[in-house]
Amino acid sequence: MLNPEKCISCRTCELACSFKHEREFRPTAARVNVLQFEKEGISIPLMCLQCDNAACEKVCPSGALKRNEVTGAMVVDDAKCIRCKMCVQACPFGNIAYDPAKRCILRCDLCDGDPQCAKFCPFGAITYVEANSGTLAKKRAYAAKMKEALQEVTK
Amino acid sequence: MKVKFFALLRDITGVKETTNFSGTTLVELLEQIANHYGKEMSNWLFTPTGPDEEKKLGKDVIILVNGRAIEHLAGLATPLKEDDEVAIFPRLAGG
Amino acid sequence: MYGWVGYILRVNLTDGTIKKEALDPVEAKNYIGARGLGTRLWIKECDPLIDPLSPENNLIFMTGPLTGTLATNAGRYNVICKAPLTGAMAASNSGGYWGPELKYAGYDGIIFEGKAEKPVYLWIKDDQVELRSAEHIWGKDVNETTDTLKEETDFDARVACIGPAGENLVKFACIINDYTRAAGRSGVGAVMGSKNLKAVVVRGTGAVKVADPDNFYAALSKARKMVAEHPVTGQGLPAYGTEILINILDQSGGLPVNNFRDSGTFPNADATSGETLAKTYLVRNKGCMGCSIGCGRIVNVPDGPYKGFGEGPEYEAGWSFGADCGVDDLAAIIKANNYCNELGMDPITLGSTIACAFELFEIGAITEKETGFPLGFGNAAAMVELSRQAAYREGFGNEIAEGSYRLASKYGHPELSMTCKKQEMAAYDPRVLQGMGLNYATNNRGGCHVRGYMTSPEILGIPEKLDNLATEGKAGWTKTFQDLTAAVDSSGICLFLTFAIGAPELSEQMTAATGIDFTVEELLKAGERIWNMERLFNITNGFTKKDDTLPPRMLKEPVKVGPAKGNVNRLEEMLPEYYKLRGWDEEGRPTPEKLKELGLQ
Repeated sequence: MLNPEKCISCRTCELACSFKHEREFRPTAARVNVLQFEKEGISIPLMCLQCDNAACEKVCPSGALKRNEVTGAMVVDDAKCIRCKMCVQACPFGNIAYDPAKRCILRCDLCDGDPQCAKFCPFGAITYVEANSGTLAKKRAYAAKMKEALQEVTK
Repeated sequence: MKVKFFALLRDITGVKETTNFSGTTLVELLEQIANHYGKEMSNWLFTPTGPDEEKKLGKDVIILVNGRAIEHLAGLATPLKEDDEVAIFPRLAGG
Repeated sequence: MYGWVGYILRVNLTDGTIKKEALDPVEAKNYIGARGLGTRLWIKECDPLIDPLSPENNLIFMTGPLTGTLATNAGRYNVICKAPLTGAMAASNSGGYWGPELKYAGYDGIIFEGKAEKPVYLWIKDDQVELRSAEHIWGKDVNETTDTLKEETDFDARVACIGPAGENLVKFACIINDYTRAAGRSGVGAVMGSKNLKAVVVRGTGAVKVADPDNFYAALSKARKMVAEHPVTGQGLPAYGTEILINILDQSGGLPVNNFRDSGTFPNADATSGETLAKTYLVRNKGCMGCSIGCGRIVNVPDGPYKGFGEGPEYEAGWSFGADCGVDDLAAIIKANNYCNELGMDPITLGSTIACAFELFEIGAITEKETGFPLGFGNAAAMVELSRQAAYREGFGNEIAEGSYRLASKYGHPELSMTCKKQEMAAYDPRVLQGMGLNYATNNRGGCHVRGYMTSPEILGIPEKLDNLATEGKAGWTKTFQDLTAAVDSSGICLFLTFAIGAPELSEQMTAATGIDFTVEELLKAGERIWNMERLFNITNGFTKKDDTLPPRMLKEPVKVGPAKGNVNRLEEMLPEYYKLRGWDEEGRPTPEKLKELGLQ
């Protein structure tokens, strides 16, 4: 679950992600990215949303992308992957990348169910929650704001 | 006497200062404040102790009486007079 | 190497040559990085007696071994050179994303030598490094410069640059990276301007590696947990930023008012506080690379004469433009602070210099004939206008641009400059915080709060509460804080972490990152080595015991009102003990035994 309004632009998620997957600190190898609009002070964390109906899986010619039934993450099998980068092009959000340094596809695998980005995010901008509880929390927050506004109007 | 609240404590009290409380020692005053604002305030002001134990100051609160930190006065036993000013802060820092 | 990436870039601006050199691992171990290692590299290569604005003054950008890693809040780098404001060594510390990016590009630091004939900027894309013309951006402010350079290089590049103040050799010009993060003090921006170097633009796609990933993960996880659970770094700083200090310093009587003349209490302090900022102009919080605190404040003043969007103010700026100038209009303070960000100036020195000018005006030492408009405490409009003028050296701004020591001396009242070693003190009155007074007096870069933050024990009770009005024991505390801070500054982590973690947590992270056994003792020893190295530089430059002092007002004029009424700073009770604990002789010179112990002969 991504909550950009809570993001303070610290990019801790990028560091945690590259450390988990590469055992080094290389933000360009992170599967999660924080897109910064620095002057406005706004930043948006972006990462694979694990589409149910995934374009990357459909377009893969070698069957290298498979869903992990336990975590629900779409995972690349590096042995089967032919590095054609069709998945990179097919993702409508740009959330898959190719790493020229290690010659492999970079995509979120939810860290086998313990996503480090969510674990290290200091302000809850990235959380790992049940598919619907996240949106419910958001709904509740907005409903509370509406309630306050209504109370203000009807005072 | 005048009691002033700062930072996160203002979210609990909803006011910056009040003259609604009084006491002859600091602990009396703080007990009144804790009783009035409830558990969250009490957790800032006091370290949890058993019912018969002596009250202990919260570890993350800074209290000034007339601008002097109570560590350098008599702590919770600091005597208070009606024209004293008590300032209560959560532990904070910056620079 | 691990932690360090192992290379330094050497750029000669005079002849345009660029070389990549290996980092000496022995120097790196002894001086850690950033402030320590940068200062060491400067001292090894430069004549200490040079004019700070001459081409011979190397300008060094240096990161630390933890910079750019997941260690607790490790986004920092330092800029090192001889300081135009003080003549002492400058090592100005900045956060943001620029320092980490330099390491991802494959360099621990950059040494700039000489002077370019025409304005240039350096563009680093990993191994491709080139000097490019900056004539088209000379004169532009920080925002325009940063926007333009990102456009012509790479959207993801990071920019450290000077604004008009650096170009105009304002004595307290900073270097600003990532739009609003500043290597702030002592005038490092003027040195960059004197070299005709407008900006350093970096894009890095490489990695920072650590020696022992598993132990590093364990160490940083533990330290991050402590930071998240501490009331200061986990709650207070995120909620209110550093401006939260205004009220507690005011209530304790330690907030300096009207150029320290009327210290004791500032009647409308709360109007300039972090609490008020959070309720009025705050838009959102912002953090540096890897930060878990987010003390940065994105602010917006929606209307009125000071309308505008920006970042800050920090506590120091909130005080220097606020209580120190007698101004309680938060929008005006934000405006002056925005000028500092956009034009590239240190708000502590600027605000304090304006406060000095206000006092000079009130006693009649300067008049409207010199200034062009009336000055005086509480005059927000004059404060804001002088801030802008200083950057361009326009009108009386040309005098402000020299800092308060030169300003007050020129008009016959050097005693009204609130400086130590010609650098302005920060927002803690040394008559009320006795230990902070000792730190200001002995600080190697002059009036400076961040190299021995005695406010922490004296007011905030971290790690324990000391009586701010007492002098006993302050010498030992000051020394320990100064040495630990030198190590922290050199490692690449943010000083604010030390409210929550201590030397043991830094030691664990440093050891796992570098593969070198940095015990607590060795870190403190390295800190002490760095402190003494800076001291030796100052001694070579003619600084003596008589410079380890405070403005006469601090020693002779008692605080007039408030809880600390009647106090002066009792420096003479602390200084001899401090020298002794430091292993220095009675004149404040490190003894041969001390130098031998530290490996500094």
